[in-house]
Amino acid sequence: MQATMHKPKQKSAIHQNYLSVKTLRRLSPVFTIGVVFFLWHIVTAMEIYPAFLIPPPSAVFEAFQEAVSSGVLLENTATTLEEMLFGLLYGVSIGLLLGYAIAKMPLLEQILSPIIVAFQSTPIVAYAPLLIIWFGSGTTSKIVTTAVIVFFPTLINTIVGVRSVTPQLKDLMRSLNASHWQIFTRLEIPSALPMVLAGLKTSSTLAVIGAVVGEFVSSGSGLGYLVTLARNQYDTPLVMVAVFTMTVIALTLYSFVAFLEWHLLAWQRRSSR
Amino acid sequence: MQRSLRAILILMVLSFASIGVMAQDDMTDERMLLTFIPNVQFSPFYMGVDGGYFADAGFNVSIEHLQEPEVVDLIAAGQANFGIVSGEQVILARTQGRDVVYVYEWFQEYPVGIVVPTGEGLETMADLSGLKVGIAGRFGASYSGLTTLLESADMTEGDIQLEEIGFNAPEVVCLGAVDVAVIYVNNEPLQIRNRAQAGECGDIEDVSVITVASQADLVSNGLIVSADMLAENPDYVSAMVMAFDDALQSTINNPANAYLVSMNYVDNLPDDEDFIAAIEALASSQEEFLATDPTREEIAESRQAMYTTLAEDYDSDMLTQFQVLLTTADLWDAEVLGYSDLSSWETMRDTLVSMGILEDADTDLEAAFTNEFLESES
Repeated sequence: MQATMHKPKQKSAIHQNYLSVKTLRRLSPVFTIGVVFFLWHIVTAMEIYPAFLIPPPSAVFEAFQEAVSSGVLLENTATTLEEMLFGLLYGVSIGLLLGYAIAKMPLLEQILSPIIVAFQSTPIVAYAPLLIIWFGSGTTSKIVTTAVIVFFPTLINTIVGVRSVTPQLKDLMRSLNASHWQIFTRLEIPSALPMVLAGLKTSSTLAVIGAVVGEFVSSGSGLGYLVTLARNQYDTPLVMVAVFTMTVIALTLYSFVAFLEWHLLAWQRRSSR
Repeated sequence: MQRSLRAILILMVLSFASIGVMAQDDMTDERMLLTFIPNVQFSPFYMGVDGGYFADAGFNVSIEHLQEPEVVDLIAAGQANFGIVSGEQVILARTQGRDVVYVYEWFQEYPVGIVVPTGEGLETMADLSGLKVGIAGRFGASYSGLTTLLESADMTEGDIQLEEIGFNAPEVVCLGAVDVAVIYVNNEPLQIRNRAQAGECGDIEDVSVITVASQADLVSNGLIVSADMLAENPDYVSAMVMAFDDALQSTINNPANAYLVSMNYVDNLPDDEDFIAAIEALASSQEEFLATDPTREEIAESRQAMYTTLAEDYDSDMLTQFQVLLTTADLWDAEVLGYSDLSSWETMRDTLVSMGILEDADTDLEAAFTNEFLESES
């Protein structure tokens, strides 16, 4: 009787320990951020650098409140988000389509790879001014800049993903008279999905860079513009507010794709158990 | 005999080398922080280094190119001693806790203007109403200049369609994406005109410029130091100011010589042997002319004559950068080089207030600049 009473208690203790470890793991990023803020506060309190070079967290928070209440932050964030999301939409779509086509047609890869690799190996800041000249100084040029920068990781990962399909499985499906559509939806998409989503994760963080680089070159709105403006007005706290906002956007987008990956690849986790 | 001769030679070489080391030891390493990128417009600094003006004053100067805010911050933080920024940056920086002081006004005329196609009846600011106006960005000297021009015509930004185009005015204007553009008067108009004359600028055949200087006297680019440096070591600042003043005067007097020196710093300047030989000949004859003790006006005329001489044999592609230097020299030239006028600071402050980027109209402008090193020199 005693033994039967003891077992659930032990299980519960293990469960609780597991939970506390899990909770600690989840809280660790918050802890890291807390340490960074604490060190930042110490550095500014000790006045190692002048406040105009590294403003204290309180000054940045004040600048944040002011930027929010005046609408400056929201307006510029909205512009950058718009450029990023449309850039992602176009860049990822083209990357997926072209990546699939190249994976299926090696000749296409031979024809296009010199152009694609040449374009990708050039830093985006080098041709961003050209994109501004060709597409104008409005949001279009920033969307194109973003699309260009997110295109390559999507393309490469799609090619690798589609080519990772096991030939035996494809043969098996063909022997079962599966149609092209069935092979595509039931075999190729699930097989390529882990790689495609990994590419999407990279693209989501690069999207912020694409939009902001375009805004640095020329713009009248957006977080890159806000950094330039604040820098030219010697408002370092506002520069940091804009930079933090970019970081938050990139992290949010990355987390969203990670969440998407977690859901879409649930079958993979189940099958590996 | 041979052995002793060799010993004497080695001793001589060593003693010369030690003199060289001693001479170098006497020099103080200094960073000169400039903006933009290496360009013939910075030729007075190249003259300062290669012409020996900085060395004569005891400075071993290395030139760096940064953005204006970085120049101000490095100097305010004491990480560099000398730099060049525009006047409005000094006012803005001081209101944000950067205690920098402007000690020498390099550009005597504000170099910003609006380039307009000729033959379309665009002669005054009022004519630009409703047009697409390109600008590098809503900050810096270009934006201050535009605001001043608009105010001089009782106009506001709402009267025009302002578009940020980055530093791409020649391309954007020639593509017709904007009607006119805010530019630096000594650079972009020359490039656009050359393209237009070559038939590579859409329908534009020629351009003219509505200059800010024709409407208002705004303080322009100049040499800055930190207030601490000025208080603790005025003689050191004075030595640098005087050295730069000499280098600037030398550039204004003989831009052909300055152009040749600039070739050591600026990439992509035409290196055609005949062209270089022609510039060298001009530099040489200008030295002879300067020995006759000409007036300032005569020197200005001689600069223009240089261009006329070269234009007889060389096309605009070859001449553009030399022309940029000549045009810029006119913006530097004055009876008293380096002198900064309080009224030009007041006009700049009022412009910044009307732009909405300076709240405090009671900014202490007299603490923002000084002419004391020019007076001490005279």
